[in-house]
Amino acid sequence: MSTATKLWPGLLLGTLVAAACNRPAPDPPSSGLNAGATAGGGSAVPLSVRYQGWVNAGGIAPAGGEYKNPFAGDARVAEQGGKAFTAMNCDGCHGVGATGWVGPSLVDGRWRYGGSDGELFQSIYYGRPRGMPAFGGALSPDGIWGIVTWIRSTPPPADVPTEAWK
Amino acid sequence: MVTRVLLSRFLPGLAALGLVTAVVARPAGAPGSNTTGIGAQGQWSLPAGDLSATRYSGLGQISRDNVKGLRPVWTFSTGVLGGHEGQPLMVNGTMYVVTPYPNALYAFDLSREGYPLKWKYRPEVNPQAIGIACCDAINRGAVYAGGKVIYNLLDGYTVAVDAATGREAWKTKIADMGQGETTPMAPFVAGNRVLVGPSGGEFGIYGWVKGLDLETGKIMWTGYSSGPDSSMLVRAGGFKPFYDKGSELGQSSWPAGAWKYGGIPAWGWFSYDPGLDLVYYGTGNPSPYNAEQRPGDNKWSNSVLARRPSDGSLVWAYQFTPHDNWDFDAVAEMVLADLTIAGKQRKVLVHFDKNGFAYTIDRATGEVLVAAPFTPTTWAKRIDLTTGRPVVDSSKVTGASRGNVKSICPSLEGGKSPASPAAYSPRTGLFYASSNNMCMDFETWQTTHIAGTPYIGANTPYQPGAGGNLGTLIAWDAAAGRKIWEIKEPFPVWSGSLATAGDLVFYGTLDGWFKAADARTGAILWKQKVGSGVVGSPISYTGPDGRQYIAVFAGIGGDWFLLAGDVRSDDPADVRPPADFAPDLARHTSQGGMVWIFGL
Repeated sequence: MSTATKLWPGLLLGTLVAAACNRPAPDPPSSGLNAGATAGGGSAVPLSVRYQGWVNAGGIAPAGGEYKNPFAGDARVAEQGGKAFTAMNCDGCHGVGATGWVGPSLVDGRWRYGGSDGELFQSIYYGRPRGMPAFGGALSPDGIWGIVTWIRSTPPPADVPTEAWK
Repeated sequence: MVTRVLLSRFLPGLAALGLVTAVVARPAGAPGSNTTGIGAQGQWSLPAGDLSATRYSGLGQISRDNVKGLRPVWTFSTGVLGGHEGQPLMVNGTMYVVTPYPNALYAFDLSREGYPLKWKYRPEVNPQAIGIACCDAINRGAVYAGGKVIYNLLDGYTVAVDAATGREAWKTKIADMGQGETTPMAPFVAGNRVLVGPSGGEFGIYGWVKGLDLETGKIMWTGYSSGPDSSMLVRAGGFKPFYDKGSELGQSSWPAGAWKYGGIPAWGWFSYDPGLDLVYYGTGNPSPYNAEQRPGDNKWSNSVLARRPSDGSLVWAYQFTPHDNWDFDAVAEMVLADLTIAGKQRKVLVHFDKNGFAYTIDRATGEVLVAAPFTPTTWAKRIDLTTGRPVVDSSKVTGASRGNVKSICPSLEGGKSPASPAAYSPRTGLFYASSNNMCMDFETWQTTHIAGTPYIGANTPYQPGAGGNLGTLIAWDAAAGRKIWEIKEPFPVWSGSLATAGDLVFYGTLDGWFKAADARTGAILWKQKVGSGVVGSPISYTGPDGRQYIAVFAGIGGDWFLLAGDVRSDDPADVRPPADFAPDLARHTSQGGMVWIFGL
């Protein structure tokens, strides 16, 4: 049981953590480099970091794990993930509704570290270098997938890069 | 008051003959013994210029008569975008500039043309600090003492750098980012103690102040803001708060153990009275924002603490906002002055609190002599001087069970931001303070402490206050508790103030103006656009050429980095709309740190 669930027993995350045992592990990595690594609530997590949008020398992507959100599109999980976003104090940095505070907005459709499900998972699980804490120790992988699913459930507004004044 | 303000602004001659003259006639003319010296000698070695935190310069070459001719003589890009909330120092012909993260320290040789660098010091700072700091990676400046320039790195270290060579003299770990502590405040030196404190009131830290040895950097004492008397450095018979009795108040005013993650940082400014041998500083908010999770006064959050610098002993304390419901940190400066109150000469400290009241307090005992609102204030009706407690409007009490509580004034940005320290001119007897004219709604919920993550649990949108202007610069008579004049600004005023013997007050604005006002009337006499909003504080000094100069940082940041997302200039992946209560701010400014020096 994760620290977070202990800290916050009422959290629906408990359901997600418990469910983790019955869920399939994320897909194995596309190469054998990281196979078999596990973390958090028991799901296998490939210990690699791979950014889909980056330039690859020679046009060749390095080997890395593929992450698949086992809850993609699940509205009930998204709702629980939204609650977890508040319960885990994510809103304290990213703002209520994830509209941005000292941490970046998560609803503007733009991403520092990539915006695919797997990249979002890695950002939460491992943390990021400008102050994003690693939640992989405090939150189960399925709990993290819940938050990813919630972020995904809010379609970003049309990106209008121009701001004009009268 | 409105009439007086208008008179002062538009008919300076009339005002000078009337009200303001009366103020000047008060026998407040002689500053306390510890306010003289540093500023008058033309140096600026402490964050606020002197031990009394007056931000007053005794230099008068630049005056009301000639300030129209003030012009930029030098600029320098710091290359840093975080909020430049500090101020330069000037000692022995050298200007010292510490930047926000990554906290480089520059030493400029003012005796040579173009002010080239003597050296620069580039410490290694953990970038994780950027996100653990609640409200932008800001810095509030350095202090010079004993031949060293001493300042805090954002990631929890204090460093002392040899002022002549730029070599690191010592580096001491003072804070733990894993607990949510970061260190953007400017250290203070009293005797041979370097005083430092953390930020982290939004992270549920266990707040403290440490006294370091000036020579070695060794931590000589740590005085916590709450908890057991022993941890707070309460020594037998030595702690005498004016309004409170009993022992273990730092525990008994909390639910069992809640003080251990109850916040109470110390990220503001210090002052020191060598005669009383007391240092004064304010403490920050209790955590979390949901006050229902921490029944009790939550001592000593939102308080002024008086300690002995040598061993940290707590001598007295006064709590401005008991059981904080509104994030009213009290870390703003405690300006020391000797004022005549009710016909009696008193050694006081003057404090403009986030809660909208200005306090004049006997600095030997902690007795509140005057407390009056300096900005529209709805959360409390007044301060009861017999108990020292605010008379709270029960309709403005917040908490998880109370839903969204509307129209609380001032907002949690403060009636005055603690980041924007006031100035005191012994010539006019007036205090000059930035002010915000904003109100807020406050909705909060049950939240859980998870070390290293925010411990807030609130949504607090802001609205402009009445009048159409979001900020003012005010002149305040602290003996009477009344506003003498005000300058209305379209945006909140977030810079510190500087008062000079030329009877000028310098301040900057968020929309990027640096201005000089007549200290007696509030008439704007000069202004210059400086490229980015000003959230730092001006200083004045005598250059090696014997002439008076004014220096200030431009570089918007701090809360404005959060609130007005569209002033951000460095991250294409983070594009936010403007602040709904200040939609035009980004029309006038964006990020970018710059040092400006002005002269005649």
